[in-house]
Amino acid sequence: MSESPFWNDDWMRTQQKYWEQWNDMSRKAMGMQHPPRSPMESALDHWWQAISGGAPEATRGTMEKMLQQGKMFFRLGEEMSANLQQTRDWSDAVNQTLEKIQEGVAAGAEQSAEASEKGFSQWMGLWEGPIESWRKAAGQLPLNSDFAGTPNLLEQVLGMPGLGFSREDEERYKELGQSWLHYQHALARYQHFFADLGSSSVRCMKSKVKDLVDSDQKIGSGRALYDLWVAACEEEYAKHTLTPAYAEIYGELVNSLMAFKKQWRELTDQRLGLMGMPTTREVRTLQTRLQESRREVRAMRSELEQLKEQVAQLRTPQGPPAARKKVAGKKPGAKKAASKKVAKKKAVRRKDSSQ
Amino acid sequence: MSPFNIRPDQLAQEMQDYGRKLGKGVQNLMNAGEIDAGVTPREVVYQEDQLTLYRYKAEGSAASNPVPMLIVYALVNRPYMTDIQEDRSTIRNLLAHGQDVYLIDWGYPDSSDHALSMDDYINGYIDRCVDVIRKKHRLEKINLLGICQGGSFSLCYTSMHQDKVKNLVTMVTPVDFKTADNMLSAWVQQMDIDLLVDTLGNIPGEMLNWTFLSLKPFSLTGQKYLGMVDVLQDEDKLKNFLRMEKWIFDSPDQAGETFRQFIKDFYQRNGFLEGGVKIGERALDLKNISCPLLNVYAEQDHLVPPDASRALNGRTSSKDYTELSFPGGHIGIYVSGRAQKQVTPAISNWLDERS
Repeated sequence: MSESPFWNDDWMRTQQKYWEQWNDMSRKAMGMQHPPRSPMESALDHWWQAISGGAPEATRGTMEKMLQQGKMFFRLGEEMSANLQQTRDWSDAVNQTLEKIQEGVAAGAEQSAEASEKGFSQWMGLWEGPIESWRKAAGQLPLNSDFAGTPNLLEQVLGMPGLGFSREDEERYKELGQSWLHYQHALARYQHFFADLGSSSVRCMKSKVKDLVDSDQKIGSGRALYDLWVAACEEEYAKHTLTPAYAEIYGELVNSLMAFKKQWRELTDQRLGLMGMPTTREVRTLQTRLQESRREVRAMRSELEQLKEQVAQLRTPQGPPAARKKVAGKKPGAKKAASKKVAKKKAVRRKDSSQ
Repeated sequence: MSPFNIRPDQLAQEMQDYGRKLGKGVQNLMNAGEIDAGVTPREVVYQEDQLTLYRYKAEGSAASNPVPMLIVYALVNRPYMTDIQEDRSTIRNLLAHGQDVYLIDWGYPDSSDHALSMDDYINGYIDRCVDVIRKKHRLEKINLLGICQGGSFSLCYTSMHQDKVKNLVTMVTPVDFKTADNMLSAWVQQMDIDLLVDTLGNIPGEMLNWTFLSLKPFSLTGQKYLGMVDVLQDEDKLKNFLRMEKWIFDSPDQAGETFRQFIKDFYQRNGFLEGGVKIGERALDLKNISCPLLNVYAEQDHLVPPDASRALNGRTSSKDYTELSFPGGHIGIYVSGRAQKQVTPAISNWLDERS
């Protein structure tokens, strides 16, 4: 007998029976003729497809996150059990499972987006987190363009010589293309960093498993296995992202994206200007001037309030009541300071406009 | 000895349970309806631009502390965290302990607010709100409670308007922005903040959100959704979970100019410690703070590490400085049951003794 607790056909039979029933139910519900390929994940997917239409928009995202994590949890259990059945030795099974994770991480960083979906993303439900989050955040920032979808155009633009009437325009597009390439380079560095981090997390996980063995502790459930993996990932992530090396990679990622977006916006502004449309630059200037006006209006309003109070006090024959001495409001010098502030700001603005 | 003590049938059962809980719980999720947050009755006292100043209404008798308290929340996320649900409301608890509570809701800045500076927020909005309350209560000084970034703003404010602040409470407030364990600080050191703000104008809430989730990506974007399956059956617990989820992703944009100064002067230059910061035309100096000071921090705070908050000790002229440590995290200090029993009464008692 192997000491592997997974070496038991009951496991597969129980598992298969349950998911066959679920899949059968979901297939009937959806009118599907053919059985799904992977029992656990497919069952979850089919079930979700069947009910998601009725799910409110507000809760759909949360459900999908639960499903994704559930699949990750299942995947870890499935992979571990399959390896345990093949090797009949728990330490080999752990190594094989973690090595597969490691391969998935590396593939995700090295391969194309499509391959990443199959290797990295599919296998590493956890490690896609930071990178996927960045993609989403970068995509939601204003001025996100579809420039990324035109690599051929980019190559052509960068290859063209700047000549004649349109020379300046062409130079600008070249700079834009170079900015985009810089961003792609920075993104690749960021992904590589996470690939390395994934590998060190696998090592950390092995170390944690070894610690359990040394301290005669046990992992008693699939969930505990998953939690241990999360703990290993967080530990390594925190350690590595506090380094100056990561700060440099992260800084380059953000800075290069911003540089690209700024150039893109300036080009867009140029086109809008030619069409007589308001540009971002003009709108920003107006907003800044509006804010200056708001400050001035508030300062004057405050001054007016104080003047009103002073007039009211002067009109009272007995003089100000005792409470008025302590009434909240600006200090005596505030009126003078407010006037001075407004005058100074006006002077600064005059200076700006004269430049 | 194998560290795995998971029988195959047990693992299969675990997975079945997951599917069953998901299947049963999804109905609760679909029926969850509108997720409410912010439970204590309140009235609008003052409005300006996007800002609203609220006064909260106590149940039963009037406040026993004659000095009202103004809560200055961060510009990040929404202030209903302090009043998220009936049994986990810092505000409700403060009212129950006899405090008269006001709160500034910053609203959702839009692009027309991008030029709002820290001077506008601190010497403008906060100062006017303080004046409104002082006038209403005919008091020279009121109590101030600043939270996180709002705590930093409150320190700035008190250092410039000490004559209007009777007692200052800071909660999970960064003072030393460059402690070795401060991940946020490490990440922004290489970022070109001018380029970021010049490109984006306001900083999108999604980007801020992504940054905060990136502090613990595996727990915050993955593991917690696996755990959520366990609470799906319980309608109350599910609503609590969804309330937190709503709050986490309810992220207003941050005014560009304020973000620029806050990150450059504090995260990059560590302005409270290193000096050289000007808010508008005034130089910032923590030594100008002489009122009693209560500094509350969370021992497991991953956003504002305890050392970042504890750095306040000895940096003001206050002769009455108290620290209160809470064994929890950045959010738990407001919403946990333990915080309601320990933190809020302690703040209230501390204020009562000094009012």
